[in-house]
Amino acid sequence: MQEERFEPELQEAARAYHEPPPLDALTREQIWQDIEARQFDTPAPRRRPWVQPWLGIAAAIVVGIGIGRFTPLDGLLHPQPVTPRAAAAQAQPPVPSVYEPTTSHYLDQTTALLAALPTEMHAGRANQQFIGRAANLLLTTRLLLDSPAAQDVKLRGLLDDLEVVLAQIVRLQDEQNTTELDLINQALEQRDVMPRLRTAAADISAD
Amino acid sequence: MAARELYDAHADRVFRLAFRLTGEEDQARELTQDAFIRAFSQLSRFRGDSALATWLYRITVTVASNRRRKHRRYERETDLSSAAHVAAGGTLQADPDLRDRMAAAIDGLPEIYRTTFVMHDVEGYTHLEIAGVLGVAEGTCKSRLFIARGMLRKVLAPFMKE
Repeated sequence: MQEERFEPELQEAARAYHEPPPLDALTREQIWQDIEARQFDTPAPRRRPWVQPWLGIAAAIVVGIGIGRFTPLDGLLHPQPVTPRAAAAQAQPPVPSVYEPTTSHYLDQTTALLAALPTEMHAGRANQQFIGRAANLLLTTRLLLDSPAAQDVKLRGLLDDLEVVLAQIVRLQDEQNTTELDLINQALEQRDVMPRLRTAAADISAD
Repeated sequence: MAARELYDAHADRVFRLAFRLTGEEDQARELTQDAFIRAFSQLSRFRGDSALATWLYRITVTVASNRRRKHRRYERETDLSSAAHVAAGGTLQADPDLRDRMAAAIDGLPEIYRTTFVMHDVEGYTHLEIAGVLGVAEGTCKSRLFIARGMLRKVLAPFMKE
């Protein structure tokens, strides 16, 4: 009985928790001006010299996109009966086979980099090489996101999260501080990134 | 300017969420700034669809959590007993009412439960929205809310019996 009586009071009291004031026009404008000053007055990012070694992977993905665009013709010309299992597979398409080697390599590399992150950062050794690896993986992440490999819903979600984390790691080059590092660790922990990475890598290897 | 339009469209809700999570206007303002700056720096993938709002809230929650962790290093060790202590009047002085005790109890919740509870029961987000923001399954979100409510009930039970 107490549960039923308690719940509405709980809800009512909770709604008063940190009741925010209305965001008036002046405050809103001040916040915007601060954003403008911090975001849009900063110099353009430098071109990274270590991108070149990763052009091979980028090229593989681009070639994969090309292949992927031409290969479905056979299925269209000779449609197969759709079973319930096949329908489920169509609802959530897997990573196209042409992307599997690149995706598998990418997942392994990313796992290794993130596993090394605590050691690298705690020892204050966030050197150019480590940041460079993160930047290259970020580039690959974005290419994969724009490729048919991202049709796999689980992989796309993982890639979305990895893009944020890797971008944060790359930012450590310009502003290395504990807050940023905490943010990265929080992101990794909250989104269960490492377990999902290992699962995704195992799934692709099993295919 | 696209960035300004984006800001105008989402500033109110980002600020509200930031305030709910921090409880201080200055921190909420800074957090709102940080969230938009981070979003703008990676804006190229977003075209103004609903996913952008979810992503903005995710950034807001993450930045808020880190600020909270930074300012309260002991947060990780905070457990139900400390929440109970606060809610029972341990640090509250003069005649705290239910809202004060509730606020103290919410503050004492472990972070993942506090965020879920605040977003759902305080600010009115749906489980689907929260799941998207926190990057967890909808069922996980519901489970966390259930646990958070249970903790609060337990902490506030002695007070409710009075």
